[in-house]
Amino acid sequence: MRNAGTCQQFVKAGTSVPDAVLKLQAIVKRFGTVTAVDRIDLTIERGEFFALLGPSGSGKTTMLRIIAGLERPDEGGVFIGDRDVTALPPYARHVGMVFQNFLLFPHKTAAENIVFPLRMQRLGRAERDERLAWAMSLMRLGGLEDRYPNELSGGQQQRVALARGLISRPALLLLDEPLANLDRELRSEMEVEIRRYQKELELPFIYVTHNQEEALTMSDRIAVMHNGAFEQIGAKTEIYTNPATAFVAGFVGHSNRFEGKLVEISGGLARMAWQGDAMLVPVPRDPRPGGAILFAIKFEDLEIARAPDGVDRTGRNRLAGTLRDVIFKGQTANYIVALGDGSEITISSAPRGLDLRMSEPVIVHWPVARGATFHV
Amino acid sequence: MARGSVSKGGLGTSAMTGIRSSLARRGQFRFACLAGPGALFIVVALLLPLLAIVVFSFWRTESYELYADWNLDNYRVLLGEPAYRIFFLRSLAMAAAVSFVCLVFAWPIAYFIAKHGGRYRLLLVLLLAAPFFTGVILRITALQGLLGPIGLVNMALAELGIGPVGMLMYTPLAAGLGLFYLFVPFMATAIYLSLANFNFELLEVAKINGARPWRAFVEITWPLNAIGTAIGLVLVFIPCLASALTQRFLGGPNATSLGMSLAQQFGETGTWALGSAMGVFLFLASLAGILVVRRTIDLKRAGFTGALGA
Ligand SMILES: Nc1ncnc2c1ncn2[C@@H]1O[C@H](COP(=O)(O)OP(=O)(O)OP(=O)(O)O)[C@@H](O)[C@H]1O
Ligand SMILES: [Mg+2]
Repeated sequence: MRNAGTCQQFVKAGTSVPDAVLKLQAIVKRFGTVTAVDRIDLTIERGEFFALLGPSGSGKTTMLRIIAGLERPDEGGVFIGDRDVTALPPYARHVGMVFQNFLLFPHKTAAENIVFPLRMQRLGRAERDERLAWAMSLMRLGGLEDRYPNELSGGQQQRVALARGLISRPALLLLDEPLANLDRELRSEMEVEIRRYQKELELPFIYVTHNQEEALTMSDRIAVMHNGAFEQIGAKTEIYTNPATAFVAGFVGHSNRFEGKLVEISGGLARMAWQGDAMLVPVPRDPRPGGAILFAIKFEDLEIARAPDGVDRTGRNRLAGTLRDVIFKGQTANYIVALGDGSEITISSAPRGLDLRMSEPVIVHWPVARGATFHV
Repeated sequence: MARGSVSKGGLGTSAMTGIRSSLARRGQFRFACLAGPGALFIVVALLLPLLAIVVFSFWRTESYELYADWNLDNYRVLLGEPAYRIFFLRSLAMAAAVSFVCLVFAWPIAYFIAKHGGRYRLLLVLLLAAPFFTGVILRITALQGLLGPIGLVNMALAELGIGPVGMLMYTPLAAGLGLFYLFVPFMATAIYLSLANFNFELLEVAKINGARPWRAFVEITWPLNAIGTAIGLVLVFIPCLASALTQRFLGGPNATSLGMSLAQQFGETGTWALGSAMGVFLFLASLAGILVVRRTIDLKRAGFTGALGA
């Protein structure tokens, strides 16, 4: 058994459920009047890279702390494998955790920090050294064994923290914004590496972030959290292309938003009245003709053309405007267009082949099935 | 460069060095202004008396007069006389015991305030210092009232039917209690100040990584607060080692300390030279105590991250 030693007495005999590594059942956690976690159900599968994405204060950290055992839920149960660990202290749960501010032990060297979990498990010397060598080479920390944390760079500290989280081969690894304190370049480098470790180790990761790009780059599955509850949970492509709520549409990807009124539904499309104009948009869930709706469409789903264009009008929405600015981003450029009412929308597209000039009249157009519509 | 043909560049650089050295002088002047008074105070108020005591300890006193004939008699008496050896060992044992008991009591108090004090932290720390709002004598008198034959403790024991305990007052135990009461605030404050800068999240990390609470304390909390603890130990041990008043008022005949004897040399018996030798001896013993504490602490192992001198 892997989690030998101190944890042994808590391990009940029995076979574990083959695929579910972690199960949360109707978890509720309140702090005074704030409900930080509001009836969350979640199942994490073996080898899964799961991202918990949400704005500041949405309850992500609280959820991780509940899973780790640092916080007792007010209601609900936490299961790791087939064990009910709801009442168990953190040291009996055998999960790993990596923190935003690294939290290395300042009085221990890199190597001592990394083997700390193994020492707590009373693992033999030989195996300890073997695992240390493995973790050091996995994290490319060779030669830094005897450095103290304050003698390491931010990226090295983060690698030591990751190694400490991984070395005991926990049932799952919790990561709370582990890259937030690193600079941009290092961050994108570490994103790739962390995903590589995860795939190599086939260890389930729960990765908390408020950075949607990080979540989209690294994870297999994403839950978007808001006010302590999941707004949507699913594959990352699903979250990106089919946002379930207006909040998700606004939080994931970059969208233009149009607020209007639902006029009628015909032929599988909704007609939205907007600024005296009409647009055909996808039908919202539970459509109520006459109700206020929000139409969100990603920057890259819009197309732009010089004003008297030859675009076929059937099956497309068209808006006339003038080009305000072009923000060159390399592979793409953002075209900022002022519409008739003075509002601005953004179109993202490949900058080549479009030699538009500032203040030139343009047409923004897109196929009617694109975007997402919600009642507000 | 030949003399007499000073080039423009030469002029420029010499002007530059002139400015730089005047800047340096101004910096030195500012430093002297800032550090000077403190340094002067240390020299006048601490080093000079210490030096005087060292000098006196090699002199001779006769019928209340100091004579400057250099000799080692005082030290011979001090080390040879069994009574003084006993006084010193008593002081040493008392200081060690009081330091240890203070340590055991102060840690939980300081820990509780640092961890759970919340916004009352400052208030609670000030409460620790409450005994200092009165003078030493008053505090000792209060303890006499508490421990004496008709003191609070004995009266309470009588009420409970256990009867008055005669051996409470005027024993080494009473003196020890008195010293504990006087010095535990120092220890608790030193440890508290250390814990106030301690990141308690590290304990959560330890627990997630499999450490039970006691193990987390041994592995993380204790080493990372070793400096505060050491300062507390020094703050208690040294005054206890030299302490005289508490033993005199609470301790009875079996608690006579080297400090008491020292006070006597300067008072009743008027043997200043011998008293000075005792002072030097206590000073060296304190220094040895500090060095022992210092040696047991590896600054890096205590999580000390500042610039390391030596
Ligand atoms: N110990 C606590 N006491 C009181 N309120 C708390 C406590 N911990 C969290 N909260 C509250 O619970 C809510 C969720 O906090 P949490 O730290 O889980 O957010 P988060 O999603 O991790 O945010 P961030 O992205 O800023 O880290 C917040 O409203 C927060 O103020
Ligand atoms: Mg957080």
